[in-house]
Amino acid sequence: MKQNTFYLLAGIVGLAEVGIFWLSVEHHSPLLIVVSIIAGIALLYWARSKVTDRKEDERTALISQKSALRTLEVFWVVFFAISLGGAVIGLGAPGFPRPPRPPNEGLIPLGNLGFFQMLLLCLMIFLYVGFKIYYARQLGEWESDEEQD
Amino acid sequence: MHDLTQEKLADELGVTRQTILAIEKGKYYPSLDLAFKIARFFGVTIEDVFIDEDAESRKKL
Repeated sequence: MKQNTFYLLAGIVGLAEVGIFWLSVEHHSPLLIVVSIIAGIALLYWARSKVTDRKEDERTALISQKSALRTLEVFWVVFFAISLGGAVIGLGAPGFPRPPRPPNEGLIPLGNLGFFQMLLLCLMIFLYVGFKIYYARQLGEWESDEEQD
Repeated sequence: MHDLTQEKLADELGVTRQTILAIEKGKYYPSLDLAFKIARFFGVTIEDVFIDEDAESRKKL
């Protein structure tokens, strides 16, 4: 498979996931989007392994490693700090350790948690892309010379 | 030397042309494995291709 075919497939999968997300919201079925996201990513990983004209070497692997490590380092600090904030709210709740359940509110508002997790995920993606650009630049990804095409 | 382009050298060594360029510009230090491959390709020793800057500066002192 050519690299461009892979990009095309990734675009199609991305659009399909958006559609499935909408369907999932319409039918109130979180399982649908969960399963389709996992299946979509598995498909893309499989397709990526079939790309023949993709060139990776030790330098590109180093760029990926360094950016992933830095992302993880920043992310765990942010996640830890936010989780501690959450713990403080939990500990300060009236009736700790088991606050009395309000009579008409049986469930935790999981929708808010979902949005919060999406926000953290976006932060992680932005961080990774940012670090990748930084390290790619540091390790000569966009260097040019007289032999440049 | 060897009438060789970066693209050809990169293909021979199994790396990208950008990696060859980054090594030439001193932006990236290759692994020992790649350094040996480069030296072997040109039929010279590693010391002929790469300079140990620390050793060079110690010599000057």
